Amino acid sequence: MESNASGSATGRSAVGSALPRPAGTALVRLGEGRSDAATHVRIEDFDGPLGLLLALIESRQLEILTVPLGSLAEAYLDALAAVPGDRIGSVSGFVAVAAQLILIKSQAMLPRQHAPVAVSLETEPDPEAELRARLLEYRRFRDAGLALGARQARWRLFRRDTEVAASSGRAGARPPARPPLPVSTLSVALEGLIRITPPQPLPREVMTRTITLAERIAVIRAALRGADAVVLQELLGAVTDRVVVAVTFLGMLELCKRREITLEQAQPWGPIIARKVPAANAAAPTDGRKIRREAAR
Amino acid sequence: MTEEALGGDAADESLGLTVAQLEALLFVAERPLHRSEIAQLAGVDRELVDARVGDLEVSLAERGIRLVASGDSVELATAAEAGLLIARYIGADSPRLSGPSLEVLAIVAYRQPCTRAVIERVRGVDSDYTVRTLLHRRLIVELGRSDAPGRPILYGTGFDFLERFGLTSLEQLPPLDAEVAGRLAQEPDDDGPGEAGEGR
Repeated sequence: MESNASGSATGRSAVGSALPRPAGTALVRLGEGRSDAATHVRIEDFDGPLGLLLALIESRQLEILTVPLGSLAEAYLDALAAVPGDRIGSVSGFVAVAAQLILIKSQAMLPRQHAPVAVSLETEPDPEAELRARLLEYRRFRDAGLALGARQARWRLFRRDTEVAASSGRAGARPPARPPLPVSTLSVALEGLIRITPPQPLPREVMTRTITLAERIAVIRAALRGADAVVLQELLGAVTDRVVVAVTFLGMLELCKRREITLEQAQPWGPIIARKVPAANAAAPTDGRKIRREAAR
Repeated sequence: MTEEALGGDAADESLGLTVAQLEALLFVAERPLHRSEIAQLAGVDRELVDARVGDLEVSLAERGIRLVASGDSVELATAAEAGLLIARYIGADSPRLSGPSLEVLAIVAYRQPCTRAVIERVRGVDSDYTVRTLLHRRLIVELGRSDAPGRPILYGTGFDFLERFGLTSLEQLPPLDAEVAGRLAQEPDDDGPGEAGEGR
């Protein structure tokens, strides 16, 4: 039975078999390190369950290879109970390890008739050896990460690229002579500037300019008062507003309709000449027909 | 652009490749160049490129510029011992990486190419966010997809990782324990005693 168990462990994981299980020590040492109030390990400091378990071991200055992992179940659960609710998403991993610890602990407590070494179930690998192997592997990569972290500030390589050139030499940049000013100083200075600046006059209300037909007709009449004929283009010489042009043209048509003026245009886009109709002929019906449609466009 | 222009000329005749020419090319390139790309540009054999890259690496060993190699690509970068000086000149200060990020980086660096399942099995926790952050910072890169079911993405490190940690190649990574190093060669990536990391 014993050989079967160790054989399956070997088949599953090389490390599982390579790691010595603290044979016979589990029952004896169970309970050590438990309820150790002097060591507080906060779960917020850990991203994962293995990190937490490792910290519990290290805070007690225990050795991964020999510590009975079941004895840490209580301390682990205490730390887990302190998890804030908003971290539930990452809690499943913690719970899985907790379950493993409880399993290990329960197996260590069960009376065994044959040999104390045979903790493992017959068909499954020893959960304690497995967790121990995971802890060891995790610790190696955690330590490798810490070693990388120690390198990151001092030993950086820089490649020659346009970004570096633009942000430094080519742009004539120099490292700052003094550390940058704190934001609070800048905001105080900015507030001072705002106070010095005289208040700007408020903008007047913006209103749409209304151009009426009567207004433009009055302009045309006024122009015709001093002369017999007025050229529309000359009348509008200084006007740039399209609406004024259009309304003036409409005013001209209106005057034509009222037979106050006659309109002539010799060719498309040519000057539109408005002439006063003598009062005697004001009733002549054909005056309006000389308007060329093209002029309207 | 530069490489294309050079390629037009080099396609016709072999230009040969001296160490000085290789150094000059890498100096101008401003990006990592693949060895086969260099061979095509110069119209020489890949073996000659490999030899010249080796020569250049040796001749730069004591200089302020070093040859950095990742995969089959090479580039020039400043020497690690000049890192602080250059950083002060540029005025750049890259943010320090968090503990979880460093853990994931270490796993990817030592076990590449590896899937997210491998990372999560080692760490025992969901690492999706950390992996995405490192991808965004280009400290890890996608190398392709595994043949395992679901064809998960394989992650590895690139030039940004080497530069960030002052390494001229992955061989300069400090060795892990011999036991782990032995496992790297043996153990397949996608199965193992990892119920906590893989079940999700």
